[in-house]
Amino acid sequence: MKKFALVTSSLIIAAATAAAADGSAASYTADAAQSRLEFFGVQAGAEFKGVFHKFTSSVDFAPDALAGSKIDVQIDMNSVDSMDKDRDTTIRGKDVFDVAHNPTAHYATKTITKTAAGFAAVGALTLHGVTKDVPIEFQFTPAGGGAKLSGSAKLNRLEFGVGQGDWKSTDTVGDAVKINFSLVLKPKS
Amino acid sequence: MPNQSPPTRYSAVAQAFHWIIAALIVTQFTLGWTAEFLPLGARKLARLDWHKSFGMTILTLAVLRLLWRLFNRPPELPAGMTAIEKKLARAAHVLFYVLLFVMPLTGWMMSSAKNYSVSWFHQFTWPNLIGPNEQAFNLLRTTHDTLSWLLFALALLHILAALKHHFWNKDDVLKRMLPFTKTEKRS
Repeated sequence: MKKFALVTSSLIIAAATAAAADGSAASYTADAAQSRLEFFGVQAGAEFKGVFHKFTSSVDFAPDALAGSKIDVQIDMNSVDSMDKDRDTTIRGKDVFDVAHNPTAHYATKTITKTAAGFAAVGALTLHGVTKDVPIEFQFTPAGGGAKLSGSAKLNRLEFGVGQGDWKSTDTVGDAVKINFSLVLKPKS
Repeated sequence: MPNQSPPTRYSAVAQAFHWIIAALIVTQFTLGWTAEFLPLGARKLARLDWHKSFGMTILTLAVLRLLWRLFNRPPELPAGMTAIEKKLARAAHVLFYVLLFVMPLTGWMMSSAKNYSVSWFHQFTWPNLIGPNEQAFNLLRTTHDTLSWLLFALALLHILAALKHHFWNKDDVLKRMLPFTKTEKRS
């Protein structure tokens, strides 16, 4: 009995020490009203910007506990807004996002590493029913009890089958898409 | 230069401006109105992409042409024309200049209002003149379309007038704008 108590307490101490040395990731959710998710495409040689109005984010993050950190974003593809109704209808349609069959996109990081400028992550993006790894770069700035997480990514839309039929050609709509995000994080209650 | 007598022919520069812009306007009318009837899709966008690049080319040429015109006198209208005929001819030419600016500018504003920025042959992007605005787009589109028919009517009048001068009045009004022709010295 005595021996058991000893083992248990040493385990507890060991675990506590490990946590202290490694830090532990704090859990956040993004404030929907203040967070932004934007994308930039090239159409007819000129850049255009679109945003997703609806997305939910769940972030576990601590700069000194990257192994236990994770960014997870779920995007409502119907909430796309490129500031033109005609273009939005086309984007939601079956040849582009096909929101009827793929109403959501999902991004979840697998690994996060420290870089000179901030952090880099590789995560799995499921878009248009296709899952592929997409790297992102971001900065994490603690603010009050929460934090701001902002960064960017690049992807090629055709790798996800975004653009069928006429839209497969990159003459009119470019393959490369830039993504900017800015998440205003609040501690998870 | 100020004391020189007016030239009898349009200079090579004036002719180049006239014929290059004329050819571009024919191209624009064709591209614009054939695109109008295409369904929304890649083909329509590609056609309007050319339309916008040519349109911005016309706007640039119009600026250069107007500047050039301010410092270079055109040949005078034939002495045989009545005062009212001369006034009407000048009014038609002023209207051409106005449309040379208004057509590309309304087109450029249309693109801005629709948040489809204008590229110049994919080399660079012109800044947006106004923010995304559906109402403004619809109004600008109606203006652009309507003025294209005014320009069409004016061009038709212009061509008929040139032919009338050449075949009916038998003066040099047409020939002095044609390259590779000679105009006789006017007495």
